[in-house]
Amino acid sequence: MKSLHSAQFIVSQSIDSDAIFTLLQHEFSLYETGHTRLKCHYLDTFDWRMYRKNYVCSWYQTANKRAKNREGIFFIHEKETGNSICELPLSRVPGFSKDINHQAYRRMLDNILGIRALMTVAVLTVRRRQLIILDEEHKTLALLQLEQYTIDESADDDQPAGRLIVCPVRGYPKVFKRVVQLVTEQLKLPHSREALLDEVLAVTGKRPDTYKLTGFQELESSFSTWEAVRILLQHLFSVMQANEPGLREAIDTEFLHDYRVAVRRIRSILGQIKHVFPDKLLAYFKREFFWLGTVTTPTRDLDMYLLKFDGYIQALPDDLQQHLEMFRLFLQRHWKIEHARLCRALDSKRYQKLASEWQKILANADMPLQSEMSTGSQAQETCNAAEPVRIVARQRIWKLYKRILKEGGSITPQSHDEGLHELRKSCKKFRYLIEFFQDYYVGKSIKQLLKPLKQLQDNLGDFQDLCVQIEQLNGFAEQMQQEGLADTKTIMAMGVLVENLNKRKKALRAEFGRQFESFIQPEKKAVFVEALRV
Amino acid sequence: MKIVACYNVKGGIGKTAAAVNLAFLAAHEGARTLVWDLDPQGAASFYFRIKPKVKKGSKGLLTGKKALEEVVKGTDYPNLDLIPADFSYRNLDLQLDEVKKSNTRIQKLLKPLASEYDFIFLDCPPSISLVSENTLIAADAVVVPTIPTTLSLRTLDQIIEFCNKLNIDHTKISTFFSMTDSRKKLHKQIVENPPQHVRVLGTSIPYASDVERMGIYRQPVPVFAGNSRAAKAYRTLWEEIKSVLG
Repeated sequence: MKSLHSAQFIVSQSIDSDAIFTLLQHEFSLYETGHTRLKCHYLDTFDWRMYRKNYVCSWYQTANKRAKNREGIFFIHEKETGNSICELPLSRVPGFSKDINHQAYRRMLDNILGIRALMTVAVLTVRRRQLIILDEEHKTLALLQLEQYTIDESADDDQPAGRLIVCPVRGYPKVFKRVVQLVTEQLKLPHSREALLDEVLAVTGKRPDTYKLTGFQELESSFSTWEAVRILLQHLFSVMQANEPGLREAIDTEFLHDYRVAVRRIRSILGQIKHVFPDKLLAYFKREFFWLGTVTTPTRDLDMYLLKFDGYIQALPDDLQQHLEMFRLFLQRHWKIEHARLCRALDSKRYQKLASEWQKILANADMPLQSEMSTGSQAQETCNAAEPVRIVARQRIWKLYKRILKEGGSITPQSHDEGLHELRKSCKKFRYLIEFFQDYYVGKSIKQLLKPLKQLQDNLGDFQDLCVQIEQLNGFAEQMQQEGLADTKTIMAMGVLVENLNKRKKALRAEFGRQFESFIQPEKKAVFVEALRV
Repeated sequence: MKIVACYNVKGGIGKTAAAVNLAFLAAHEGARTLVWDLDPQGAASFYFRIKPKVKKGSKGLLTGKKALEEVVKGTDYPNLDLIPADFSYRNLDLQLDEVKKSNTRIQKLLKPLASEYDFIFLDCPPSISLVSENTLIAADAVVVPTIPTTLSLRTLDQIIEFCNKLNIDHTKISTFFSMTDSRKKLHKQIVENPPQHVRVLGTSIPYASDVERMGIYRQPVPVFAGNSRAAKAYRTLWEEIKSVLG
């Protein structure tokens, strides 16, 4: 059966509940509640995952601080129709999907949010008056809510228009339709065309599409290398800046992850697109971004352990599972220390200097001109800056491709793990360059190469993670003993964990050959050559 | 979706009160909940102020002329819907007898609602009949309110025997003491020494005027007497039933 959606109308200040009451009382038995004041917290992830799936998440609580019942209600609505998908009592604003007790909704949120946290994107005070349409048994047949809104962070004169919301009750469609008809024809109220959230976002100047990690501005084919590199580096720096508050507050682990990816991508450009920066400057930035990568690593490593922890436990025999909890405690304790250390690094003069020097250089649109005017070795240092970027990038991508073939081809079952790590780094650089300069490839054939590349990278990435984890776990076990956190059973549980990880590592290593073969197939190579054709 | 049948052969022992209050508590927690008032007396429908009327009656539902989801009515509470009773349900036994696979028909009718609801409560009529057989088969848990008296315990035995006869897994039966009066010696004795051959839930619903007042307020007890003994007992009972359902 097709369900009815609520109908929403825009109301001016001059329309009050009396007018609506007068209109409806001839046909219906009505009950009017007093004013209620509610706080509405609109929630979404940093990258707007709910919004992008066409959902609106909110948490309502009475604004009356003296109210006896201050339990909140968590809602998920469909953005376009306003239909309520979920209405759950919840005492506080949920952070992650795991905070939702209801199994089906938790699963739904889990699929959309993944490991991202819900954050408050806007807070609204809602003044609501409710009219209930009743039958002769005093049963509710439809609800009318007259609402006025105040956005907490907005000026008084810049607020969304009030709304009249007519909510149907299942099984009573005639009443709903009649009410909507009366409101439309008699009160001549216009239907609201957009979701309230959109209006709120428009007022607050927030745009749900502002954050993209990989969506770069389109690069024109006439761009010089410096012009293109400058745009890419500016974008990546803005990604770093956007993620910095979230990683400091530790809202979720993705802030740090995206921050690190942006740093890695910057380092990749600095290292791969050669002869753009003067040598001295290049050496400084390479060193400093390397440092930034290094100071963020311990927290990220611990994030990874904690994210995977439940999986670690489940893989252990039942009798050992509880003994791994001390390890979780150890990780949480060390995470706090490392995160504080990371925040101190971000507060340091060294970081401030890097940020300001970086902004200074990126503000310089004329670097190629300067380099053309310079002479001797300095001109040589930046000789690619004025060259067409599509030529410079293509040459580098081709070189990296050949390097991958060479490095991957030399790996045998007996090769040392280090060889796979080197190949992983080359693949990463290669992938980044492809993504940066994708506008210059012919057609979409490059995608055919990206899929096996991604699979190969997943294999190499997981393998490397396991190598690091196995090595670290042994160190952790010793450290835990020193800190008095590990008894024999805990050490035994960690031993079994290492054993499990070793098995997984072996399986990945065995899988590598197949993944690499898939990547280097001759037809894929032909596609790649064709895609790079200018 | 879990189906909970509130069932007893005897009438007037708190089946409907249990179905209505438990369903309200489930919905209040955010679970999408439906009550099907299968009793032609329509007490659950009355409590929810919904007219005991189903278009095309029970025959329309059994023959598929009217889908179950088309006759669902929203109650006054979020997440809580009702399929009202209808006078035609008095003939449900006979009508079920006329259709194929007559003892699993209710289960089949409920199947399309699986994605829409987390819990469906069946408020069963007091009888041993084909309707009872259907509900016992369809249910994941059969909740049997029992007054702590000798005759009521005898009825409980009859229900278990009925399940055995029909090859219905009687482990899905849970009973709880209903309308218990701690002043009565016999009630006290039976509550303290419950039968061992069936799962007896630890919660007893007291004989309380608040439960009777449901008929005056036409609301579940937690709505008009949230802190009452009866409301607290229903809350504890619901927690127990949830753990039985797993």
